[in-house]
Amino acid sequence: MDDGLRILCLAMIIAVVCFLLIPIAVTVVMAFDARAYLGPLPPPGFSLRWFRQFFADDYFLRGLGTSLQLAAAAITISLSVGVATAFAIDRARFPGKEAAVALFLSPLIVPPVVTGFALLLFLAEMGLVNGFARLLAGHIIITVPYTIRATLAGLAGIDRSLTEAALVLGATERQAFWDVTFPLARTGIVSGAIFALAVSLDDVAVSIMLTDAHTYTLPVALISSMRANFDLSIAAASVLLMLVTLALILALERFVGLNRVIGQGVFR
Amino acid sequence: MKADGSFPLLLPAIAIYLGLFFLPLSWLLLESFRLYTPGGIGAAAGAPLTLANYAELLTPAFARFFLETMQISLLASLTGVLLAFPLAYWITRKLSARWRAIAVGFFVTLMFLSVLVRTYALELTFGAAGPLRPFLLALGISPNSRDYIAILVGAGLLHYIVPMATLTLLGTIQNVDPRLVDAAEALGAPAWKAHLTITLPLSMRGVLAAFLFAFTFSISAFIIPMILGKGRVLFISNLIYNRFSEIADYPSGAAISIVLFAVALAIVYAMSRFVAKQWTP
Repeated sequence: MDDGLRILCLAMIIAVVCFLLIPIAVTVVMAFDARAYLGPLPPPGFSLRWFRQFFADDYFLRGLGTSLQLAAAAITISLSVGVATAFAIDRARFPGKEAAVALFLSPLIVPPVVTGFALLLFLAEMGLVNGFARLLAGHIIITVPYTIRATLAGLAGIDRSLTEAALVLGATERQAFWDVTFPLARTGIVSGAIFALAVSLDDVAVSIMLTDAHTYTLPVALISSMRANFDLSIAAASVLLMLVTLALILALERFVGLNRVIGQGVFR
Repeated sequence: MKADGSFPLLLPAIAIYLGLFFLPLSWLLLESFRLYTPGGIGAAAGAPLTLANYAELLTPAFARFFLETMQISLLASLTGVLLAFPLAYWITRKLSARWRAIAVGFFVTLMFLSVLVRTYALELTFGAAGPLRPFLLALGISPNSRDYIAILVGAGLLHYIVPMATLTLLGTIQNVDPRLVDAAEALGAPAWKAHLTITLPLSMRGVLAAFLFAFTFSISAFIIPMILGKGRVLFISNLIYNRFSEIADYPSGAAISIVLFAVALAIVYAMSRFVAKQWTP
């Protein structure tokens, strides 16, 4: 009975891991397919033709350019606003502080399509028609809660007596902040930046509502070409996006530690 | 320490949240009560208020989409948590520290994987033109049938839910004292019974948290049903987008948005009510 259960569980685990990995493996293999069309597996030969096609496509390149500029601008704003907000909340003692934190994190619980649709209507009403400005507005509001949350988590782990010791030893408020508190909070800030970057680069649901004919992000471009013609230059783009994910994960592991991202239990 | 002059630090955030979040959502609520008039973006200024946009959602044609979204989301979330539980147990209890770290890295990477990549990979592998096609046809399953497409949408959701739920459950299962199961087995309980009566009930909070996370993710999923559903299976979120992109009926899109928002809020409320604080987002 117990052996039967063990085998059943093991079989299920293997099946689940296969389900998670096989589509990714298929995509990677097909991205290097040498054929000029979408044919059955396995490809008879390998080449970089689909990568070349991706980088020769103005539609994708334009999206990639917008995505990178947008991510850079949105992260800069979200990170500075988020860090300032988290420091202010962390220092202040006022009634309803928990409610204030909940309000600042509330964009996380709104379905992104709803956020996008609300912004579409409101920004049109306000007369904001510039595509990049609209996208920037959308990307700021979906990334800022992550920077606030991560910085707050980073600050929560800091022993306040360290800052107080610096003050007692003659440091000014400003010195104590920049030399003691800020470096200690850096882990939280970095993980906030990584999360914000991942969110900004991956978003479709908000961006698709805010694009105009000339300004669109790479994910939006990929989605519309996925709906139009299902060719393998998207597989090549997928491989590139996987590399971005890997780079973000490695950065997270290097600067923050994955165990701190997922939380720990007592009995190991 | 009190509010010692740090309030100005909050001003940029307050401006951003008001201008890009709270005012747009309020505007959305107002718009959802406006009478639909074809034209530019948004209802005409001063359009009369009406409940018609909500009444329309109660018609069978609309209710079908709501039911289908709920049905697929519920099934995918239950399946995902059911599959994740043994996985999380196996990682915490059966793997060496080194392999556990590798497994955690593997699942974090899968969870971070771009939803575009996920969706495209599933369509490429399991879709109508994929390598599975001859196999499916031999089994008498049409890859273009509506049922198969619905299952494919569920599979798309699962591809995120399984890694997410596994990671959520790791901490929970680590907190279950393994000596309790040992004791039960020493007293003669078979392993399945020991887990069913000890490990599972003691992890219930984590299981519920993982399930509610999965369900919130599923009902607001956008790209997965849009691409894998091929227009034949539509989620509520796709309906909102279609209101904008296809027929430009903004008040109706606003009403659907408000309903979806209300459902998401109800789930988060359940989460904060029934699940420990540290699990809420």
